Parts: sequence; C-alpha cells; structure tokens
Amino acid sequence: MNLTAVGQVTRAWGFLVLLTLLNLAAGHSGLSGLAANGLILVAAYAKGRWMLMEFLKLRNVPNGWQILFLCWLSLVTFVSWAAAAIPLLRG
Amino acid sequence: MTERAMAAAQEDWGALSDLPGHPMMWVLILTEVVTFGLLFVTFAVTGAIHPDVFAAGQAQLDPDLGGLNTLVLITSGWLAALAVDARTTGRRGTTRMLLAGSATLGCIFVIIKFAEYAAKASAGIGLETDTFFTLYFLLTGFHLLHVVLGIVILAAVGLYDSLENLKTGTAFWHMVDLVWVVMYPLIYLVG
Repeated sequence: MNLTAVGQVTRAWGFLVLLTLLNLAAGHSGLSGLAANGLILVAAYAKGRWMLMEFLKLRNVPNGWQILFLCWLSLVTFVSWAAAAIPLLRG
Repeated sequence: MTERAMAAAQEDWGALSDLPGHPMMWVLILTEVVTFGLLFVTFAVTGAIHPDVFAAGQAQLDPDLGGLNTLVLITSGWLAALAVDARTTGRRGTTRMLLAGSATLGCIFVIIKFAEYAAKASAGIGLETDTFFTLYFLLTGFHLLHVVLGIVILAAVGLYDSLENLKTGTAFWHMVDLVWVVMYPLIYLVG
C-alpha cells in the first residue's frame, strides 16, 4: 500500500473528525450570532475542501476543476451564513 | 473516419477525462451538487424569511445525532478512500474489507437517520408540520436516498473491483459525504 497516500487520507480524516467535534462543541456551548455561525460554516468549508482534495483526489486534477468545486462550496456556505445573518441584523 | 478513430472519439470526454473514475459518474456528481446547492440556498433563504419558524424547528432537532452521523459518514469515506489505495497496490482482499466497512457505516447512518425520523414521528412532527420540517424532510430524505444508492454502488464495486470501478463508485460516495458535511451545519447548527 502506498504509505504516502494512506498517510494523507488518514491525516485528512483526523482533521475532519476534529472539526466535526469542534462543530458539536460550538452547538453545545450555546454560542449564537454572526461569529458563531461563521465559525461553524468555516469549519464546514474546511471539511468540504479536505474531502474534495484528499478523498475525491481533486488535488491531482487540473486547477479548473478544483476552482469549480471550491466555488460551489464557498457559495453554499456563504449564502447559508448571509441568510442566517439577515434576521440577526434586523434584531 | 476509421473504426479506431471512431472508438477514440467516443471515449473522448474532454475535461471530464481528467477526473478520477468514469466521466459519466462526474456528469451525475455535477448534476447532484447543483441540485443540492439549489436546495441549500432554498433552505437558507426560507430560513431568512421565517426565522421564528426555523428557530423553533431547529430547537427540536438533536445536533448530537447529526454530529454522530457526520462522524459515521466521514469515517466511511475514509475507508472508501483507503480501499482505492489498497486496490492500486493490488491488495484485493484488503480492498473488499475496507469497502465492506465503508458500506456498513453507510447502513449505520441510515439506521440513525430512521431513528431520528421515528423520534420526530412519535412527537407528532411530520412533513406538513411547518415550512422548516417540510424542507428538513425533503433535504435529509433526498440525501438519505443517495446514501442508500451509494451503499448499493459500494457493494457493486466490491464485486466488480477493477481500479476504474472503485474510483467511479467511491467518487459518488464522497459526493454523498460532501453534501452531508454542508447539510449538517446548515440544518442543525446555524441559526
């Protein structure tokens, strides 16, 4: 088995688990508001990016594909944050 | 055009050929991410229009179960990625064990999701309770169908385990993981 590839995938899995636990902790802490939502969605973006690069192996494909999928990820996480921000800003 | 040139033309998928696995799977994956992306935007925008309904609905969800399911799918995706690496070096037995582990975790995801649906049903919550739960059941149910399809695909590529098949099947499974990683915070946590 290619140890380098296995090591990269396993390291990505470790980060994904860590970020999921961070998300859960953020949920339990009772934190809310723009910053808490931002933290949760930045963690979701980071997890999605690791999945795309290490699990789906987009690290090894032309940049155009990476940009396309990362734009999708950025768009859905930003729209989620912005939509949640509207009622918070209205008070 | 000669027969050989025609065959080559039929195999030419342009930029899609750069991606791991069969290009047709990537056509499906691109279609799915656009569809789920539109559903996410619909959910988020509707939440901005009805913040009170969404806050009340979200309060009735169990973020721990959602988080547990995230860990289950992430670990399943990890095993699927390891299976491709194992097959690259010709270790077919290890590949099949890793795929079986990945599919088993997929089944655990389904069981946890059904337990969550059952808890909602016993609390009198259904598809028509309010806008939040209509979208909750629509999004999570549509994703659940993809998980079930993904388990079938993992089983199929376990049986027909060429490297190309493995890359194709696991690409679909990773797309299912990716969608859940965005869906979980959007539905359970952000508000």
